[in-house]
Amino acid sequence: MTDQYIGGPPLGRRVGDSIAAAARALPAKDARNSLPTLATAIDSLRSAVQDRGALVILYLNFDRYAKVEEIYGWEKLDAVLDTTAHELVRILAETPFRAARLAVSHVNDDDYLLLYVPPVGSSSNGDESGGDLSEALTARLQSEICDSLDRVHGSDIASLFDLYVGRSLVQYDPKARFERVVYRGIREAASNAHNLEQRERARVVDDLRETLRTRSVYVDYHPIVNAADGAVFGYEALARGSMRSLRRPEMMFDVAAGAGLIWELSRLCRDRAMEGIKQLLKPGETLFINVDPHDFADPEFDDTALDIADAHHIVIEITERTAIKDYPKFRERLKAFRDRGFRFAVDDAGSGYAGLGSIANLEPDFIKLDISLINGIDTNFIKQDLVETLVRFANDQGAMVIAEGVEYEQEYEMVKALGVHLVQGFYLHRPQQLPNDLEGPIDGA
Amino acid sequence: MPPQLLRILVVDDNHDNAEIVRKYLESTNDFAVAVAHDGDEAIAMYHESPFDVILLDVMMPGRDGWEVCRTIKSEPGRAGRTRVIMLTARDQLSDRRVALQSGADDFLEKPLELAKLLTAVRRNAAALAGGVKIPTTPAAPVTPPTQA
Repeated sequence: MTDQYIGGPPLGRRVGDSIAAAARALPAKDARNSLPTLATAIDSLRSAVQDRGALVILYLNFDRYAKVEEIYGWEKLDAVLDTTAHELVRILAETPFRAARLAVSHVNDDDYLLLYVPPVGSSSNGDESGGDLSEALTARLQSEICDSLDRVHGSDIASLFDLYVGRSLVQYDPKARFERVVYRGIREAASNAHNLEQRERARVVDDLRETLRTRSVYVDYHPIVNAADGAVFGYEALARGSMRSLRRPEMMFDVAAGAGLIWELSRLCRDRAMEGIKQLLKPGETLFINVDPHDFADPEFDDTALDIADAHHIVIEITERTAIKDYPKFRERLKAFRDRGFRFAVDDAGSGYAGLGSIANLEPDFIKLDISLINGIDTNFIKQDLVETLVRFANDQGAMVIAEGVEYEQEYEMVKALGVHLVQGFYLHRPQQLPNDLEGPIDGA
Repeated sequence: MPPQLLRILVVDDNHDNAEIVRKYLESTNDFAVAVAHDGDEAIAMYHESPFDVILLDVMMPGRDGWEVCRTIKSEPGRAGRTRVIMLTARDQLSDRRVALQSGADDFLEKPLELAKLLTAVRRNAAALAGGVKIPTTPAAPVTPPTQA
């Protein structure tokens, strides 16, 4: 409907001519998804808003996409944004918003803007009509984009999908410069999205408190096998919240960190993982449990905290991602565990935060390669070279290398060929629950 | 002339180096080789016509090799059909990480050994053609892949 306004003569070109010229020198479209940039979108809507008097702005904040980049790298987020933009365009075409302008606020940014000029006759109050419509649209976007991420990129990526839609209404004012009014509207919409997110966060913190109170954490055990013969070497315990909002461990620990409940949650997860150990482990098998470096500052977490007769069967995984502040003290705590027979693994090795020197400092028994090094390793020769380097380094240190996130036969064959000792991933096994674990996932809100 | 020569773009601000690489690769009769001397020229040539493999020097005035690689590799569609081999200065773990983050597929250390260069180009061509596995460095202490 508003298509007739595309490329229409921009208004208000007096003082701002040079600014407008500068804006036009910037890219008019995002190179990846071909969506117009904000400057282009504003220009194309100017006369429509003047005619119809109002503009609805929806700010789409994909809150946890930064996590995708942090864990999987920028190429993955680029691919996720491709899927997102494609779905946005598809869904919008099926709604009353089909005439709206979908725009990126910045080229390559991960938030989107929807600029919608309500039809003149639809309602005397643009706010009213846009409000109902935008709620219906939000619900569709939330479920359908998540579904398509799951289809295209898998459930781990889909679980990082989180969309908050903030809304604002801009009334046309001939006294005000159009761009500024739109920018104010965008800030208001972004702030509304942020407020929604805060409310949602508060709700999830309540879920977490309830989880801690009722001990509603269940444990998935993901097998780790010998690369050579596929025999089970041990299991990694992955604690998950029983409530839907806390299903993914990263999410649960993020929330706990924000609410100052990290020690409480860690204690619960460790206890639950240890409860399963007696039923699960066969002689000679090993349980890998994740411990955040911050847990070593927990007075209740000492070398007697893990209730096990033979500590040699437990491997404590420490992530390379977390910067360790008090290194001497940290190493002292590690030593107490080590003296009792516990073994250590450095998780996410090669993710970039630490060099080989700081891995060596921890004297690990296992080095767990970062998932980004395994993903597509069969065709990327740099990844192969890095893994080869880490395997050589591990062999020098007397440590074993674990490749996690192995999803395809080609990746499996490649990590085997590169000398990786142990392998974990969906290609071989999916995480499994103990048959009589009473606290399986429930679909509570 | 074979119908399908592999299209190679050599990007190096040092004209002599670029010429040596071009002549060496052309001497195999397997490759059609083009040369660019800076990042902007490389990107312009990439936009003009497709290449199978780009040999990209890191150290260049203006846009360096990392930036050129990121630009090429962040374009949807075509990026997956072009393999980028970075020519890095020295054996640095950090350089390899940056290469990975830039989206590169392979790297070679300078000064270039022409035999290694040919191996690298061939294995990337093979990967492009459909995942034929060629080991990275023959000297590495690895167990041989199991034959299916």
